[in-house]
Amino acid sequence: MADRQSILNELENSVKTLDQGAAVEGAKKAVAAGVSPVEAIDALSRGIREVGEKFAKKEMFVVELIYAASIMEEAIKLLEPELKKSKEKRHSTANFVLGTVAGDIHDIGKNLVKIMLEAGGFEVHDIGKDAQTETFVSKSKEVGAGIVGASSLMTTTVDVQKKIVDALRSAGVKAPLMVGGAAVSEEWAKEIGAHYCADAGTAAELAKHLIGKGA
Amino acid sequence: MATEPMKIGHFGMKRFEVMEPKSAEAIHVNSLYLLEKMGIKVVSDEGRRLLKEAGADVDEKTKIAKIPKYLVEESMRRCPHSFKMAARNPKNDFVLDGRHCYTCTDGVGLATIDLETGERRGSTLKDVADSAKIVDYLPMMHMYNPLVTPLEVPKHAHTVHEFKASLENCEKHYTTGSTYQKEEAVYELKMAAAVVGGEKELKKRPIISSIACTTSPMVLGMTTDAAIEFSRAGCPPLLMAMPLIGATAPMTVAGATLLGNAQVIALATVLQLAAPGSPLCYSTEPMAMDVQTGLFEGLFPAADMVRAAHVQMAKYYKIPIFVGGWGTCSKVPDVQAGYEKAFSAFLCYLSGADMTSGPGLLENWTVLSFEQLIIDHEMFTMMADMLKGFPVDDDSMPLDVIMEVGHEGHFMGKKHTLDHFRQMWQPMVTDGQPYKTWKTQGSKSAVDHAKEKAKEILKTHKPEPLAADIDRDLARLVAEAEKNIPH
Repeated sequence: MADRQSILNELENSVKTLDQGAAVEGAKKAVAAGVSPVEAIDALSRGIREVGEKFAKKEMFVVELIYAASIMEEAIKLLEPELKKSKEKRHSTANFVLGTVAGDIHDIGKNLVKIMLEAGGFEVHDIGKDAQTETFVSKSKEVGAGIVGASSLMTTTVDVQKKIVDALRSAGVKAPLMVGGAAVSEEWAKEIGAHYCADAGTAAELAKHLIGKGA
Repeated sequence: MATEPMKIGHFGMKRFEVMEPKSAEAIHVNSLYLLEKMGIKVVSDEGRRLLKEAGADVDEKTKIAKIPKYLVEESMRRCPHSFKMAARNPKNDFVLDGRHCYTCTDGVGLATIDLETGERRGSTLKDVADSAKIVDYLPMMHMYNPLVTPLEVPKHAHTVHEFKASLENCEKHYTTGSTYQKEEAVYELKMAAAVVGGEKELKKRPIISSIACTTSPMVLGMTTDAAIEFSRAGCPPLLMAMPLIGATAPMTVAGATLLGNAQVIALATVLQLAAPGSPLCYSTEPMAMDVQTGLFEGLFPAADMVRAAHVQMAKYYKIPIFVGGWGTCSKVPDVQAGYEKAFSAFLCYLSGADMTSGPGLLENWTVLSFEQLIIDHEMFTMMADMLKGFPVDDDSMPLDVIMEVGHEGHFMGKKHTLDHFRQMWQPMVTDGQPYKTWKTQGSKSAVDHAKEKAKEILKTHKPEPLAADIDRDLARLVAEAEKNIPH
């Protein structure tokens, strides 16, 4: 049986080298060998972090980044039952509630942000696209969100971001709100009391900067 | 992807034709008529001797040769349809086969827009060396013709100085655009032979070709003697027609096409008599008159239509064609330069041109801009990406992947996407940043990016140096040429 360290290395490398077969195989081995699922997920995270860094430096392409994330997702699916059994907690910088606002179904950018946040160590709670304002609020309360993120591609849905800020604050959620998407500007973000995220590449950095700063 | 061929028509794309087939036939028939009835003035003694021996009616007083139809047609049949353009470094060799397209720089400017100061100044030998180095670096530039004439070297021997600087800085195929005298040709061929290891080897590996300009209307000038030298050495001459529409050619697209075609096939006849079966290319660089001012411009739509018509004529004779295109009247790399160049080059390639030249030059091929060279290369990579067409098969129409993604999903994380994304065009200097990032990074235009890229290439790119003994031979030949080329 392969030893713990070599399994962890295999998991990390499978993401770096975009090898889905190796990721699934590595996850199976981890389960069979009783490797801590948290350690296994951390190894995968190290892999995606490196891919994310290379993407930011334009050494890797967006397609590769997304594929790496999908590989990681496949491997995590196999590790999740073990995680539940062990009652260990995944290491995370903070809980991040992320969604595309109500009335808007454009979620490619939001998905990219999710990958970059996960690579940056956040536990992302993705509430999907066309997500109702109430869902932003309820999910944030449920997970104790450290940050909330709302994406809008269309000018017709930008106003919803203002509604989200108001709803969060009146529900007593103090987590800062990050807003982004093609229809959003820095001025708009300031006006509604949110923080502007220009692109996926800078999302994790901005989120880390905002942690613990309050609204 | 250094010299990855661009496969026009490979995936079913049809070639664009500006004339009906019967019109191309009419251009040919009328060209034969002009050559037989009116004749063409042949300045070269050797050219007239060859034509006379083969049965042409030559008047030594007027130097006009009336060439019988059969002689022209027989000569055109002798021209090879496909051949190799060798390069200093064999990895840069390419084959002209009528299905692939390539790009060359053009000559010969007299001024350069300085990369540091942005000011226009006289051209130097360093400009030749620098632009050769950039062409060596750019993956989709396939051949180098000195973009400028250095003003500081002896004028009568400038071509050999240019060739030496080019050989030292570029490992790709070399074309000379300003070889007018036989003696220049002799020395260029000696230099090329020194690089490849002798005359015999040069015939197998022609690393040099030469533009041979005919003179409109209906003259084969002194360049004919130089072209004969190239043909006999097995290095392809590019037989260029340069009709000035409305001045040295009729004021119509068809008239200029006809006149240029007659001159090209007349020169081809002379060269096939000098060296039967030797490789040569059809070539054209027409210009049109600004009817308001009388100035001549390389770009006007009529001139580009003559280019496309000549491409069709080269296809009619089944010989490769080298088109002088990418013209612009603009004095700086700007929007005008962009649209004039894009129309000109794309029309030629859509028509099936094997090679075009002109990247890097402004103001009717007289001014070198390093930024424009990089931008024109970028334009060619975009054109090549479209010209290669696309496959339609099970792999390119992935039914299973489409069904797996389902409704409202996306394809970004799919293996099929990962397997195919590297085939997509990628920019070198085209700016695709969103406004905020663009603003933060200095609000740079494509020209700014191209300037940075040119500087980076000149700083970091190191072409393989020539062997010391070859370099010594070249220096000796240049010194000898300076003494022996008439001036």
